[in-house]
Amino acid sequence: MSADRGSSNSLRPLRAARTDSSLGTDGDGAANAAGTGILRRLSPSALAARSGRARFPLAAPSWPESVPRPPPTPELGVNYDTDWSRRYPVRLARAMVLDNVARPLARVLASPLIRGNEGLTDLEGPVIFAANHASHIDAPLLLSSLPLQFRHHTVVAAAADYFFDRRWKADAWSFLLAAIPIERTKVNRRSADLAAELLDDHWNLVIFPEGGRSPDGWAQTFTGGAAYLAARTGCAVVPVHLDGTRHILPKGGTGLRRTRTTITFGTPLWPDEGENARRFGARIEASVATMANEASSDWWTARKQAASGTTPPLQGPDAAPWRRSWMLSAAPAQHDRDDGVEWPTRKG
Amino acid sequence: MSPRPGFVLEVDRSTPSTLFWHGERFSLERLPEGSRVIYAPEPVDPLKDPVAAIRSALSHPVGDRQPLPSLLRAGMKLTIAFDDISLPLPPMEQPDIRQMVIEQVLDMAAEAGVDDVALIVALALHRRMTEAELRHAIGDRIYDAFAPNGLLTQHDAEDADALVHLGLTDQGEDVEINKRAAESDLLVYVNINLVAMDGGHKSVATGLASYKSLRHHHNPLTMQKSRSFMDQHRSELHSSNWRMGRLIAASGVTVFQIETTLNNDTFPPAFGFLQKREWEWGAKDRLGYLASSKALDRTPARLARQIFHSVKAPHRMTSVQAGEVEAVHALTTQHVWDQQGVEVTGQTDILTMGLPYISPYNVNSILNPILVACLGLGYFFNLYRGKPLVREGGVVIMSHPTPWEFNPVHHPSYIDFFEEVLSETTDPIEVADRFEESFASDPWYIHLYRTGHAYHGVHPFYMWYWCAHALQHLGAVVVVGGDKAAVHRLGFRAASTLSDALEMAEDVVGRSPTLTHLHAPPVLMADVK
Amino acid sequence: MKALVFERNLPRFAASRVASAFGSGRGAGIGPLQLLDADQPGLPGTDWFHLRPLLSGICGSDLATLDGRSSRYFEDMVSFPFVPGHEVVGVLDDGGVDHDGAPLAPGARAVIEPVLGCAPRHIRPLCPQCATGHSGLCGNVAFGALEPGLQTGYCADTGGGWSTAGLAAHASQLHAVPETFSDEDAVVVEPAACAVHAVLSAGIASGDTVAVVGAGTLGLAVVAALHRVTGAVADCTLMVGAKHPHQRDLSDSLGADIVVPPDQLARAVRRHVGSLVLAGRLTNGADVVFDCVGTSESVSQSLAMVRPRGRVVLVGMPGRISIDLAPLWHRELSLVGAYAYGDEGPAPASPDGDPTAIAEPRRTFELAIELVGAAGLGSLVTASYPLERYQEAIAHAGAAGRRGAVKVVFDLRSRKGTTR
Repeated sequence: MSADRGSSNSLRPLRAARTDSSLGTDGDGAANAAGTGILRRLSPSALAARSGRARFPLAAPSWPESVPRPPPTPELGVNYDTDWSRRYPVRLARAMVLDNVARPLARVLASPLIRGNEGLTDLEGPVIFAANHASHIDAPLLLSSLPLQFRHHTVVAAAADYFFDRRWKADAWSFLLAAIPIERTKVNRRSADLAAELLDDHWNLVIFPEGGRSPDGWAQTFTGGAAYLAARTGCAVVPVHLDGTRHILPKGGTGLRRTRTTITFGTPLWPDEGENARRFGARIEASVATMANEASSDWWTARKQAASGTTPPLQGPDAAPWRRSWMLSAAPAQHDRDDGVEWPTRKG
Repeated sequence: MSPRPGFVLEVDRSTPSTLFWHGERFSLERLPEGSRVIYAPEPVDPLKDPVAAIRSALSHPVGDRQPLPSLLRAGMKLTIAFDDISLPLPPMEQPDIRQMVIEQVLDMAAEAGVDDVALIVALALHRRMTEAELRHAIGDRIYDAFAPNGLLTQHDAEDADALVHLGLTDQGEDVEINKRAAESDLLVYVNINLVAMDGGHKSVATGLASYKSLRHHHNPLTMQKSRSFMDQHRSELHSSNWRMGRLIAASGVTVFQIETTLNNDTFPPAFGFLQKREWEWGAKDRLGYLASSKALDRTPARLARQIFHSVKAPHRMTSVQAGEVEAVHALTTQHVWDQQGVEVTGQTDILTMGLPYISPYNVNSILNPILVACLGLGYFFNLYRGKPLVREGGVVIMSHPTPWEFNPVHHPSYIDFFEEVLSETTDPIEVADRFEESFASDPWYIHLYRTGHAYHGVHPFYMWYWCAHALQHLGAVVVVGGDKAAVHRLGFRAASTLSDALEMAEDVVGRSPTLTHLHAPPVLMADVK
Repeated sequence: MKALVFERNLPRFAASRVASAFGSGRGAGIGPLQLLDADQPGLPGTDWFHLRPLLSGICGSDLATLDGRSSRYFEDMVSFPFVPGHEVVGVLDDGGVDHDGAPLAPGARAVIEPVLGCAPRHIRPLCPQCATGHSGLCGNVAFGALEPGLQTGYCADTGGGWSTAGLAAHASQLHAVPETFSDEDAVVVEPAACAVHAVLSAGIASGDTVAVVGAGTLGLAVVAALHRVTGAVADCTLMVGAKHPHQRDLSDSLGADIVVPPDQLARAVRRHVGSLVLAGRLTNGADVVFDCVGTSESVSQSLAMVRPRGRVVLVGMPGRISIDLAPLWHRELSLVGAYAYGDEGPAPASPDGDPTAIAEPRRTFELAIELVGAAGLGSLVTASYPLERYQEAIAHAGAAGRRGAVKVVFDLRSRKGTTR
């Protein structure tokens, strides 16, 4: 008898080699041949054939063989021109999307707990926000959680090879995040100049010094990009720690999962007199590490360890992968939220 | 109030009807006056602080073993093997026992700085577990730390490179087990002892073995000589496994066995009436019974199955012991008997049983006819110590719809076994002689076992051998309310109602027979005097 | 005398097509088939003889024609009005001459090879197919001295088996019926010949695994033929997919090795051959598969269970079906038709000198007559009806499997050829 008699004998299991189909007929055995007549003429294949034969001027012209073609100018990647996304009408549209779509969505997906933003109220721009990076959700989340004075005048440095390799992607990210392309594998003059120019123009910048998302939850080594730009333009660097985003949209995973996150803004840092970019970068990283420590233990322990220089490294312990993962999952996920004080009511 | 022990009820005129399971349904049947009904003991209180109990057991092992922390050191090779999806039944609420135990072991391993750790699902020739099932059993923390790195593997008994042959026992039985497990500095086994058959040397000798090893004790003759296979001391199945286990230990494999027992609190509160004695059903229970049985009667089988298989049981850990295999298992067996033992005096002519929807081999799947036979004549029939509940030549009456339905993903070889083998013969010995070899070596079944979620090609044979003792012992087997064609293919008789079944049984055992009903689940063990 | 006549009548044709959707053969009552008074058909020539039918079978192709489901390909090869019935055993009241030229006494029984090739149509020279003995493949079935007609039973000039008035049979079509044969034995000679021809043209080698899909009359005849006619292949494994219990019993008794329900056939082949499954097909499979059903599902199923470079033989008449030919191309399969009969052999001399191998060309019908005698295929006739109850007869034939029957025939013996 058929396996599971009630169902049909069809044998199209999703992973064909892993299940024992009942070896009956397959669906295409019963399909009817396409009919003739009007149905055939309106079928997608017929329409495609007819439109494919469309000629100039309806379709784009072909180039005559005798005329030399100019070399193609690369317009994607680092060379993508993002100026249009900083014009006023586009900024307005982006602000509306950010405030009315992204922020509520972030509240639902990530319910971010924002700390340390008191230190930003008196800060005069422009500011470089340097954050750790664990998930693609980081940039939109951080951008929509910035204080109002920065939110609508901020660009996000995004990897040119990943976000700007196709036209539609470049357009999308430029609009939604005010992204600018940054070359992450080698030093590129153009992206550095662009970033510096924007900072001089009083645009704030969000940058992820790790250069990419963390593969296992522990941070990677910070590159010197943020420090270099700060030294060149004299801007403040605000270190930011994002906690919990790796669960929302994990690297390599699919699907969104609601998780509570914490966004901690650190105290703004300026490069000291004569301090080179590398040392400044180390200071930024130490600040983020302290905030990470604060998220996994508590503020006082973090301060004490920061003072004594014993903050556990952002890159995690030097141990087998399972132990690194084990330590990460053992930490308590979130602090208790105190959503408001319960005032006693007066009775009688 | 302390839990009451199990007991045997004598049915009289004022006894209310008795609950009978019938696959995904249940009904109340009137048993004739003078019948007996065996009730399981009430659930024993679980441990208040299981995590502390586990930690204590790991630090104070029994038998010839050091405490676990002292056995762990940096640079060693540690393997943790654990029981697969067939335990516990029904699947328990999170956190699963395996999650609790393995987390403690891994905490100790992390403290000691052990880097080379591997986890193995000891499934022998059972099917591989899905990601969801693994996450349920060991928890997200362990899964996410081990599975992405390929350190959580499911035992593959057909991968010659992953097996190692340790030698022959003095009875010439091959001992061939998982290579990683055998070559580790320490092998920790995490067991859940649901019934008295589980645990002891069987954990490693069967759970991590290959077909070459298993056929020495998974065969009709061994099963016929196991009376019963739930009683370690009178079971040829266990003697063989013990020989193998001792050889494994002698080959230098250090096994740190962690065994746990559960109470028999099998049903969530909504279905609590299934566990209670019928005359103690309050208004809520009766209402619950009526509502659920009426609803289930109207529910299509597939949906009912889904509902039942999603139910997680509230049974909890009652004991945990760790250390050397045999010492640990002696304690575990005692705990199992403490929870499940019922004293029964004398055998009976007719044994009735209502079979539920689940067996160890169809978790999240269909109870096909072969598994019905295995559940009734294998497991339930053998829940005895001493003498079988039924006399020789007696009759077993089982109640189950026995649908002619198979899950093609989990049980592909069962379909062919049912069509090809059982249509020729139902004698276990003939089945083994003529057909076992070709099913065991069929490349397609091996492929499905290794890469899909199918039981091994030879597994339906083992299900049939599990019935060998009963088939030899009984005069007839009757199935009530089952698909007639399927029941006949199994070689049993089909009856539509219990009274018809009793009529049929009387043809075999004579007029006015004695009748005993096994009120299980929850699981019990009959100590037959 | 009465005859069932199939007339060209479009509305009734359409009606029967609709009715057949509810089940094969249901359209007989309202279709273009009518029971009319008929006279003996005239003889188109001196080498034609009157044959008075005793039994005439109802075939799958007849049912398809009556239901309006047969392919439009055949439209040019029938002439209206015609009397159906090409499986006939009858009596030569006035005697005759058989295909070998041997005289047949008046009152002798004969069966006919219904194909109307060059010989009955007086076409000289013979077409290449008729010249080599493959009269079934004759291309002149719509030309010559007769009205177009694929076979007796589709031709307006010859009459057909479903009548008490008789039909006209050409000498080349007549085969004498052995004395030992019952009428039932004789009426299954024609389907047996189809089976014999299919089996002999399939190229089965020793030790092959052969699967037969469908266990109606043709399927069972194929099963019988496989073991008896192709002697050298005695060590083949024969696996049959039979839907109904009586079909399974008959398959067993006719010599099948493994008989299973049709949806289990692929599994059984897989188990026997030990192959894997990829893309819903067996990676290895049966060497030859006979499809005796002819639907989309059965052809797809047959293609799915045959080994690479294997052969699927279509024995039952198919219609217009839609199948995916990618597997056929990829695994170098052959999908061949097997139609009717003609001459068989000679078979290449087998190394072990098998005496039953065909040493010289023999007519399929002769081999079929031997097969029917050896296998007792007359028992396949399970129901008979008089002409008056033709609607029941055709409905029964349409539902034969379900109703426990195999071959349903018209019994024309109670009429003594008197006019009514």
